[in-house]
Amino acid sequence: MESSAYITLKDVVFSRSGRRIFDGITLDIPEGKITAIMGPSGTGKTTLLRVIGGQLKPDSGQVMVAGHEVPKLKRKDLYQLREKMGMLFQSGALFTDISVFENVAFPLRVHTSLPEDMIRDIVLMKLEAVGLRGARNLMPSELSGGMTRRVALARSIALDPELIMYDEPFAGQDPIAMGVLVKLIRDLNSSMGLTSVLVSHDVPESLSICHYACIIADGKVIGAGTPDELRNHPSELVRQFLSGQPDGPVPFHYPASDPATDFGIKGALL
Amino acid sequence: MMDRVAGLGRSSLEVVGSLGRATQFLVGVLAGVPKPATGFPLLVRQLYTVGVLSLAIVVVSGLFIGMVLALQGYTILSDYGSEAAIGQMISLTLVRELGPVVAALLFAGRAGSALTAEIGLMKATEQLSSMEMMGVDPLRRVIAPRLWAGFIAMPILAMIFSVVGIWGGMLVGVEWLGVFEGSFWGNMQSSVDFIDDVMNGFIKSVVFGFVCAWIAVYQGYDCVPTSAGISSATTKTVVYSSLAVLGLDFVLTAVMFGDF
Repeated sequence: MESSAYITLKDVVFSRSGRRIFDGITLDIPEGKITAIMGPSGTGKTTLLRVIGGQLKPDSGQVMVAGHEVPKLKRKDLYQLREKMGMLFQSGALFTDISVFENVAFPLRVHTSLPEDMIRDIVLMKLEAVGLRGARNLMPSELSGGMTRRVALARSIALDPELIMYDEPFAGQDPIAMGVLVKLIRDLNSSMGLTSVLVSHDVPESLSICHYACIIADGKVIGAGTPDELRNHPSELVRQFLSGQPDGPVPFHYPASDPATDFGIKGALL
Repeated sequence: MMDRVAGLGRSSLEVVGSLGRATQFLVGVLAGVPKPATGFPLLVRQLYTVGVLSLAIVVVSGLFIGMVLALQGYTILSDYGSEAAIGQMISLTLVRELGPVVAALLFAGRAGSALTAEIGLMKATEQLSSMEMMGVDPLRRVIAPRLWAGFIAMPILAMIFSVVGIWGGMLVGVEWLGVFEGSFWGNMQSSVDFIDDVMNGFIKSVVFGFVCAWIAVYQGYDCVPTSAGISSATTKTVVYSSLAVLGLDFVLTAVMFGDF
């Protein structure tokens, strides 16, 4: 990786409800690039974003973001660091009691003392960037799923962050909405010089826009590199995930007892 | 047998853990005082939501309870030829007990459950998480204004309840049953003490307001972010608030009015 790391995770261990989610994850996320974090469902991809954002504390290990060790930051410093971060949640997480305009204006009103006319201009510029300037007066309940995510994207870039994290941005989207989101993620990264972390299990879309990708499984990084490097990765599990094979190192069958015993035909020739 | 003991131990640990989390949560909310410029408009909005919008149920309930008290009081007191003391009976009952207690129960049912459901839904739809990730502390922005609004609104609602109840009692006692108006107001004036009765009733409503608002916001913030979790949290808010109000009422009454 030619860029310096904006985010560094070193030997991160994280457990929840007695289950070990991360078992010593080590990962560098380069500055100004799009990095996709992929992996089967339930491997803790969203949890990883929450660890990076300081919403969850790891049991051990180091999480460095922009030179700050996130788990050790005081509450005030953590909130200050988050002003440099944007996060697009899977549900969009718009505030349902205020309009699209007010949703995008929210971080500006809270964190700046800009005059109202300037806030209006910035909000309209951000909405224009996601193609929804005309939807400024709509309420979140009047938006489609794709529009909700675009408004949420406009809100997350309102303060011109250095880092933006996307949590399953393509999940449940129709092909057009997915294409729009892919274009937006790519364009925003190049025009704003953002460091983008994209969590997804939509392999073709993610690999088409990311500069680097890593695959998480069983609490560890099992493969990392450029999309081309991953496609030719020696690990069978990485190849199974990327090609979407139903059986392989991740078995089709959930572990169960002997089928002959379950079906009451023990001794019979199966 | 051992299973039962283990189950009892687990339940006890859960209760103690929950109390610990609730206290930690309260300290976090009270420590994070919002800036006046941003906090005041949020507080006013919540005062409207939890206070003004609870007025209708409080006024109507207060009116009917006052009217029922007058009817029941008249029936009992007239046996002793003391129906003139009906004003005294209604006012003391309302100011000392029914005003704070019933207003708090109504508050828990209307505003408390709404607060829990609102915060729970904000949690389930990741609105609280997104606020955190925008560098905005939800304890300051969402929870604190609701807690303070409940704390401020509840004593005012209790006072309105008592005033409307006394007026309802006057309507039935004086206008309908024919008790002499001078006796009604005169007995009330001579028997109700501002410190012993009105202020003690006010202190009760302040305590109830604080406890009901705390339970409501905590249950919302701590709920399991699913539809079943929000439903359970809303039920818990009403049940725990009602039990807390009735239990605390006994303790406060014993301290304030118990002549041991």
